[in-house]
Amino acid sequence: ALGLYFSRDTYSEKLYVDEPAGTPLLYVHALQDTRGEVPHFHLGQHLYSTYRSQSHKNDWFQINEDTGLLYLNQSLDQRALEKLSARNGGFPLRTIYLQVFLSPKPFQEHECHWPSCAKVMLFIINATMPACSSLKPREFCFLETGLSFRIKENKPPGTFHQFRLLPVQHLCPNISISYQFHRDEDLPFHSDKDTMEVSMKHSLDREQKEKYELIAKCTVRDGLREEDVMAPFPVTVYDEDDSPPSFPTGINTASAIVEYKRKEGTVLAVLQVFDADVVPSSGEIQRKYTHTMLTSDPWVTEFFRVEHYPNETSYTSNGSRVRAMMHVYKLVLNRSLPITESRSFQLEVLVNDTDFQGPRGALLLYFNVSILPVSIRFPNNTYYFSVNRNAHRYAQIGKVCIENCKEFHGVNVTYRLQSPSTNCTALGIITTPESTTGTLFVNDSSVLQRSECTEMQYTVVASDRQSKKQAKTLLIISIEGNYFPEEEGCPISCAVNKKRLECEECGGLGSLMGTCQWTFGDGKGISKNFSTCTPSLKTCPDGNCDAVESRDLHICPQDCIRGEIIGGHERGEWKGIKAGYGVCNCFPEEKKCFCEPDDDKEPLCDEVCRMVI
Amino acid sequence: SLASPSSLQGSELHGWRPPVDCVRANELCAAESNCSSRYRTLRQCLAGRDRNTMLANKECQAALEVLQESPLYDCRCKRGMKKELQCLQIYWSIHLGLTEGEEFYEASPYEPITSRLSDIFRLASIFSGTGADPAMSVKSNHCLDAAKACNLNENCKRLRSAYISTCNREVSNFERCNRRKCHKALRQFFDRVPSEYTYRMLFCSCRDQACAERRRQTILPICSYEDKEKPNCLELRNMCRADHLCRSRLADFHANCRASYQTMTSCPSDNYQACLGSYAGMIGFDMTPNYVDSNPTSIVVSPWCSCRGSGNMEEECEKFLKDFTENPCLRNAIQAFGNGTDVNVSP
Repeated sequence: ALGLYFSRDTYSEKLYVDEPAGTPLLYVHALQDTRGEVPHFHLGQHLYSTYRSQSHKNDWFQINEDTGLLYLNQSLDQRALEKLSARNGGFPLRTIYLQVFLSPKPFQEHECHWPSCAKVMLFIINATMPACSSLKPREFCFLETGLSFRIKENKPPGTFHQFRLLPVQHLCPNISISYQFHRDEDLPFHSDKDTMEVSMKHSLDREQKEKYELIAKCTVRDGLREEDVMAPFPVTVYDEDDSPPSFPTGINTASAIVEYKRKEGTVLAVLQVFDADVVPSSGEIQRKYTHTMLTSDPWVTEFFRVEHYPNETSYTSNGSRVRAMMHVYKLVLNRSLPITESRSFQLEVLVNDTDFQGPRGALLLYFNVSILPVSIRFPNNTYYFSVNRNAHRYAQIGKVCIENCKEFHGVNVTYRLQSPSTNCTALGIITTPESTTGTLFVNDSSVLQRSECTEMQYTVVASDRQSKKQAKTLLIISIEGNYFPEEEGCPISCAVNKKRLECEECGGLGSLMGTCQWTFGDGKGISKNFSTCTPSLKTCPDGNCDAVESRDLHICPQDCIRGEIIGGHERGEWKGIKAGYGVCNCFPEEKKCFCEPDDDKEPLCDEVCRMVI
Repeated sequence: SLASPSSLQGSELHGWRPPVDCVRANELCAAESNCSSRYRTLRQCLAGRDRNTMLANKECQAALEVLQESPLYDCRCKRGMKKELQCLQIYWSIHLGLTEGEEFYEASPYEPITSRLSDIFRLASIFSGTGADPAMSVKSNHCLDAAKACNLNENCKRLRSAYISTCNREVSNFERCNRRKCHKALRQFFDRVPSEYTYRMLFCSCRDQACAERRRQTILPICSYEDKEKPNCLELRNMCRADHLCRSRLADFHANCRASYQTMTSCPSDNYQACLGSYAGMIGFDMTPNYVDSNPTSIVVSPWCSCRGSGNMEEECEKFLKDFTENPCLRNAIQAFGNGTDVNVSP
């Protein structure tokens, strides 16, 4: 690799028309990577204009190979300018740029990227050089484009800037100009009064300070007049990978216990690694900051993985902020673990900062993993529920659930019912996998109506699909109340009803007591509490289309509709009405719901009026 | 050079002529056997190779030289034109081979915008029917007025409610909305609705927070802008550059909004309209910009990214980000639009 580097990626200067051949423009500076390196500067063959690729062979500019002085070797006159403008794709020619390369001989032109190439921007001013007397003090001192410098840490010190603006000084030699830093005590930079060059006193360390916000002061003396001009002079210290990774609080071990949460993607333990370097940068960090699980057990690599999240952080050093990196390593379940699995082991993970050149570039993380088996059992000996004789199909009677069922994640438990007799069996059970529960519902309402049936008995079986482990418990349901035949002409769905009276007269799919229930909204515009008719206030509308409700859209279209909703409303995440205006009633056959105020007088509110005005 | 002396002289004498669009230039090239075969050669040269290895090949070099003299070399595209994507694909198929690798600023493949903000103000006053300067009424909420004006226009209302409902539709607990569809609907709104309406909503001036919040909400940022994590700006730029449309819109933004100290307004050619147009042109892509807060007076816009994790590229990242957050051209253009003022530039 090339060791030398430019102190800036872009240099700039103004260029007036008809400036004479020989006019010096500026110096470029190269800094060393190792002591003794000598720069050779070369210009790229072409002149480029903004946004256009190759524009013209460079016939006007030359660079001194040893000093880095760029100068005009031929005056850029009006005719030359026209020639350049004609190839600028219609844009006015305001800026041209050159490429300066820094390389040992033989010189080979390649793509121009810092650190081995810099651009020199020349701002073309379509006028001849102004008279010295017409220039403002600032124009003798600094360019409008501003200064900024790049210095690599741990490299030999060197000269990196020349303050003088060469063309102005060339034109107006009688004006005295001097530069100094506004406040230069204990700064690692030095500006020479005679040469007006800026150099480093010693090599820099980014981990100590990464930005120097200096102020350069320029004093212009013209006869008796004297004026000071200030300009910011920022120096950025560039990082190299010179710090090994470490544990921020000395902790290199984390424990993980796997019990009920066995699902793929569960984060089991977290460890942090600190690195004072900000290289490699985020684009290449995953490639250069590697981690390896040190295990020969294929079972471990099948079921566990380590995820790496690099995160920029910062610390304070001598009162200034210095960036650093905090690497977070998470031990994650790669696959759902079977409930019968039981073992403990220590997993070592090797983290390697591959760019770091010293020893200790690698660290070991230790994860102590204990996997406990879980068993499937019911908490009660027997479940007792009751059901009203007038309950409709899909009425939800209760839930059954194995011990710690709320804690389970990633375990596939299903519930089923076994009945000793074929008489009086009216129920069904549906497993809700997310909560590992079973919901009991009426599957055959005609059985309930039979007067000889007063009780139902079942055995509930919970089984784990993967391990085939089972647990059983007894379930007794008493059938209560007297049967009342339903009114003529009642709809299948409670949700069809728009008025309280008609709602409470009839039953519908899912109703517990034989009649639907009315819920009053709060009347506050588009609200989650809208008025509606429902089979059961406990389950509908609750914003969740549960396992039973999703069996048939007639049960609770308020939670389950995917079709059109007319009127002021807000849709649920997947389906259903999240919020509605006034009363919401639905027609499951047509897959439509309406949300409108009771009095039918106010106009409907559409999507736009809801959202914006 | 392979150009005949007469053609070279011609271009020097007449100066700049409006370029043909790349779809048309491609047709012209296809009709000519020399051009079409060289174009095919160049495309093969560029496929999977970097510029240097390509230029090292004699045949590739020759193809490039011939094409530099063909209409394909100078061709451009128009915003919202028919076959815009095809046009941009043709443009980049040549220009990715011509430019120096990854440039910080790239040439815009779009034709320069010549219209002025004042053209919009003239039209806007006709629409509002009053002819009054929008900045004159002190109490009114300009962003609300802009929304009302849009709702009174069939086309604007239709495309606006289309993007609002698309961007508002929740998909699941983990996915707030379908971002891809939302972006598409936003692009349609900004491409097909005249800028008299769209700029008024996007760049309305505000005196209070409610107004500024409405302005911030114009593009439904929760769906189209915000994300769980803020990527690094340079990585976001790489993502954008992988897509021809996004790359073109970003290049256009840089061409028209890049701050210049050589002009009075800090804008290239003092053209506010061009800057606002190319800002709006980025909405609906990876680089979608928006107001970062609902501060009524200090206008800060940014894409959804930060310079964290830049390593040694922090300076370059900051420079990229500042073209949005601290860009005097863009800020002046937005303020000038809000105030109903434009610079008077002699044609």
